[in-house]
Amino acid sequence: MRRLDYRYHMELLFEQPVNRHHFTLRCLPGENERQRVLTEQVRIEPDYTGGFETDSFGNRCIYGRMEKPHERFLVDVTGTVQTEQNMAVRDTQMHRLGMYRYPTELTAMGASLYKIFQKASFDGESIMEQGKYIMEAVFGHFCYEPGVTQVTTTAEEAAALGRGVCQDYAHVMLALCRQRRIPCRYVAGMLVGEGASHAWVELCDKGNWIAFDPTHNCMADDRYISISYGRDAGDSPINQGDFYGTTGQRQKVCVTVEEKQDSFV
Amino acid sequence: MQIEELYQYSDTVNELLARYGVKFGIYKNGTFNEQLFPFDMIPRIIKKEEFTCLEKGLKQRVAALNAFIRDIYGKKEIIRDGVIPEEFIYMGSGYLAQCEGVLPPKGVFTHIAGIDLVQGKDGKWYILEDNLRIPSGASYPMIARTICRKSSPALFEQNSIVDNRDYAKLLRRTMDYVNTGGHTVILTPGRYNAAYFEHSYLAELTGAHLAIGHELVAENDHLYFVDYSGKKELVGAVYRRISDEYLDPMNFNSESVIGIPHIFDIYRKGNVAIINAPGNGVADDKGIYYFVPKMIRYYLGEEAILSNAPTYLPFYEEDMKYVLEHFDHLVLKDVAEAGGYGVVFGSEMTKEEKKKFVSMLKEEPRRFIAQEVIDFMDIDIYEEGKLLPRKADLRAFVLMEEEPVVWESGLTRFSRNPDSFIVNSSQGGGFKDTWVMAE
Amino acid sequence: MAILSVEHSDQLFWLGRYSERVYTTIRGFAERFDSVMDVKTEEYVEYCKRQEIPNIYTSKEDFVRRYCFDESDPNSIYSNLMRAFDNAVVLREEIGSETLSYIQLAVYAMNKAKVSDAPLIHLQRVVDNIMAFWGMADDDIDRDCVRRILKLGKQVERIDIYARMKMAPKKIKKEVKRLNGQVGKTGLQYSMVRLAHLNYIVEVEPVDYDQIVEDVDQLFDEGTEKIVAGF
Repeated sequence: MRRLDYRYHMELLFEQPVNRHHFTLRCLPGENERQRVLTEQVRIEPDYTGGFETDSFGNRCIYGRMEKPHERFLVDVTGTVQTEQNMAVRDTQMHRLGMYRYPTELTAMGASLYKIFQKASFDGESIMEQGKYIMEAVFGHFCYEPGVTQVTTTAEEAAALGRGVCQDYAHVMLALCRQRRIPCRYVAGMLVGEGASHAWVELCDKGNWIAFDPTHNCMADDRYISISYGRDAGDSPINQGDFYGTTGQRQKVCVTVEEKQDSFV
Repeated sequence: MQIEELYQYSDTVNELLARYGVKFGIYKNGTFNEQLFPFDMIPRIIKKEEFTCLEKGLKQRVAALNAFIRDIYGKKEIIRDGVIPEEFIYMGSGYLAQCEGVLPPKGVFTHIAGIDLVQGKDGKWYILEDNLRIPSGASYPMIARTICRKSSPALFEQNSIVDNRDYAKLLRRTMDYVNTGGHTVILTPGRYNAAYFEHSYLAELTGAHLAIGHELVAENDHLYFVDYSGKKELVGAVYRRISDEYLDPMNFNSESVIGIPHIFDIYRKGNVAIINAPGNGVADDKGIYYFVPKMIRYYLGEEAILSNAPTYLPFYEEDMKYVLEHFDHLVLKDVAEAGGYGVVFGSEMTKEEKKKFVSMLKEEPRRFIAQEVIDFMDIDIYEEGKLLPRKADLRAFVLMEEEPVVWESGLTRFSRNPDSFIVNSSQGGGFKDTWVMAE
Repeated sequence: MAILSVEHSDQLFWLGRYSERVYTTIRGFAERFDSVMDVKTEEYVEYCKRQEIPNIYTSKEDFVRRYCFDESDPNSIYSNLMRAFDNAVVLREEIGSETLSYIQLAVYAMNKAKVSDAPLIHLQRVVDNIMAFWGMADDDIDRDCVRRILKLGKQVERIDIYARMKMAPKKIKKEVKRLNGQVGKTGLQYSMVRLAHLNYIVEVEPVDYDQIVEDVDQLFDEGTEKIVAGF
């Protein structure tokens, strides 16, 4: 068990003022067997009208609208989460599992994915073991390299390239799991020591979601805080916006997770 | 007075249709053109008893489809019980994961269903297709009737034809039934949409406001219409004529500029009705069509009153075998396409094309359905002083209030090309009024 | 249900303006066409100047054709009618199919005039339909704000055109007086300062026509001291 202090800080700076700005944020850690939210502070600027909701993937969302012109949009979420090691997350919505078994546009199969798929021979083992085989195959195939892929890059494109970031690792792993009809989902979250958000995957084994991190070729443990779930990255972006104005924009995102000093293991 | 005498009013009627701008927009080579929707004076006539039977069958079908959509975005019992394989849900393009667990006001998904039927030469009706997203077309027979009654009052005096001009009233009741408290709005993508005439005409007749996306705003978990004096008026029902994809850039296609950001979030909270419900595409997919009779049995415990055209799913090995053996007698449809596209006849393919198609079929069996070619009953049209037989279908409209209600008319579309089976207006077809006889 | 969107209020206003523009320009044009026919062959040059439209025409024949019917010329009567139609067609549920149909008929008449040897006769049909449109609008539109905004557009356009045509000050004064009575009833935001200035300028001799045009066109465009008029 650990206690982790986290901060999700995002600033959008517009060269010219924008208006009619709508946003949906999925940057609030949820509660489950693996993590408990101890404290949480949310700051959003400028003022907005909106509310909270839970989406169809179970994510906590803040959504809102800023009518007046503004040049900066700021989101700052801080809090403390208590995490557990080696705990699976129970699924209470088993009837919804089906949607996680089939490819999405971002995780559709293609020639490069088939090649990796064929390399990993893993007949008849448990979901846990199959997950490990697939994770290893993905990890072995990929070179971590930022800047060569975008948020819209598909699993197949990333696999063909052989390079990418955590989102690409996750998408490729999802595509391969789904080829075997293993229900699996994309997880966006935070990890101790990284400066940005992280992504990994969870596989469902008899109602228990097990977390794999293909970028690091390991199981996600109590250094991980999950924020949002979806079939792929497109289902549950951490922040999403829509505004009027023809202008350039700059985005600064800073994510920090530190172990609380008074914590014990 | 005989129905045939209607011909003599042809010019008057067409003049009036032009006067009221009864048009259909078409994009051709990238430019937008508005054409008058060709109207043929000879109505399709359906006898009272025949319509009563259709009515029963249509109500049953739509009740089952509504139950199905509710189940799919809810408990999914029909999958659990093995009636429909789950790949037909999750791999179809109509399923929207965002709709999981969302129950619309009063549990209505299929507020306005357009069910396409054809009549075989033997007189038997077959369901061709269910349209549960944004079926259009009701306004055309409605205004045509208005005009024909003006042109030839005697004919309508002497024949007891059920008045179809109550469609607006039915529609209004359907919208009011689910309204969560507030104004009723018809949301249009704008005047360059193919069916803009219909959007504006229905707004006029129902008294709803016609609006484009940015006239409506989401605020504090509710939807508002912004008045020109700056007041915000609560909206309780949105009859949207925009597809799911473009409805809400914050929840669906983020590139959409014609939608309303966050309308879906408000809908999820139960604070506005969206007509028809998002996600309905899961039930009107060509692949799902095959399963509708099974749905009727599953949800209603009844046998389907109206038949499907005999359909085969190459997904099932047995059906694949049949399809390959009888390829030349079948029509093959790509489940992802609509509007008459992606439809090919086995008999019309060259050897080479056939080979290519079969290998595609084997590669992706779930993508296609095969159907027996129904020998349509021809309907006469009047052209240049002559009566000519043409293929025609019937789009029946079923509106959902507490119970489904069938509009006692329908849109009869015909193919202008004598050899064509494709009647879609986007492919240059024309339309007729549909008379349901009162006695 | 007395709600009207910003879009629709704008479209009503411009439907009023464009239909009035077509009506008045056809009538003015018909008068001039008559005199151009034999003696004052160059009068169209002066006409263009007054209307502030570029004289792109090569001869009086060219002027008659293109000023009336050229779809690619944004200043042609044809183009103005199409703009009236563009605004009308998105207002079906506000003004009603019957009222809208007269603008549609004006368009058909315009297209006939375009291919006719005697365009003036067909242009008269355009005028007839616009008159019928106004009559129908007045008679058939129940909602006050819809009818009033439409009429306000017409009134604004009339003052604008009269001033451009340098009509007698008395005539313009009369129209400005009517505008004063209308503007407050629409619920539209307008500039009180501009209106006051317009009221003043029509009283001053010699009349500053350019200033009238400027005032009337800016009446609804100024953001600094907008007020909301009561209903």
